[in-house]
Amino acid sequence: MSRLAHGLRDWLLQRVSAAFLGCYLVYLMVHFSLQPVQDYEQWHAWISQPLIAIASAGSILAVLVHGWVGMRDVVFDYVHTVSLRLIVLTLIGLLLGGCGFWALRVLVLATA
Amino acid sequence: MTRQPSAPVYLNLLRISFPVGAVTSIAHRVSGLLLFVSLPFFTYLLDISLQGPEGYAEAIDILGNGWLRSGSAVLAWSLFHHLLSGIRFLLIDIGAGVMLTQARASAWLVNVTALVLALAYSWRIF
Repeated sequence: MSRLAHGLRDWLLQRVSAAFLGCYLVYLMVHFSLQPVQDYEQWHAWISQPLIAIASAGSILAVLVHGWVGMRDVVFDYVHTVSLRLIVLTLIGLLLGGCGFWALRVLVLATA
Repeated sequence: MTRQPSAPVYLNLLRISFPVGAVTSIAHRVSGLLLFVSLPFFTYLLDISLQGPEGYAEAIDILGNGWLRSGSAVLAWSLFHHLLSGIRFLLIDIGAGVMLTQARASAWLVNVTALVLALAYSWRIF
């Protein structure tokens, strides 16, 4: 794939993940405003519903994609030294990968 | 070939004013950065909140009490601003509200609404 196609693909990924996260967040805010969670049992029951668990796993993946493209754009704008760029991008990738693995593991263990 | 005008040698930062859309835009960046940095914190809260009633109570306590609640108010602003300005950018991408007057109005709407929602959140936890 050419550099241009990479850019176009990332531009699209950023917007598709944004749209998914936007819908998920608005749903969360409206749902919990109308039906506030009172205790652990309700919270656990809510997130264990199959559709909610799948949407939550999807939103974790969307955060990884969205966070990576967004942070990479910020790094490219402000960090101009190649070696420093590599270090910062590696740290960003580790943080995203670590949190993504951690969150998915929590979700699977809690709802499986 | 005409000579390029020389670079400004005097920059008074107090006299440079950002158009409102630029404020929305840079705040989108700043809020995105804050949300990224706080990902381990959010993941930790998710983890303990699903470990049982005690963990759940602790997660609620962390969000609403102690010194961390100022942080959670900042994160609430980040989430509201990033979401609202993101919706605005997506609408502009598909050609809605591109005209300058509309773009300015929606920028104001986003900046103010995010602050109001963050204040409403703060009012609940403080």
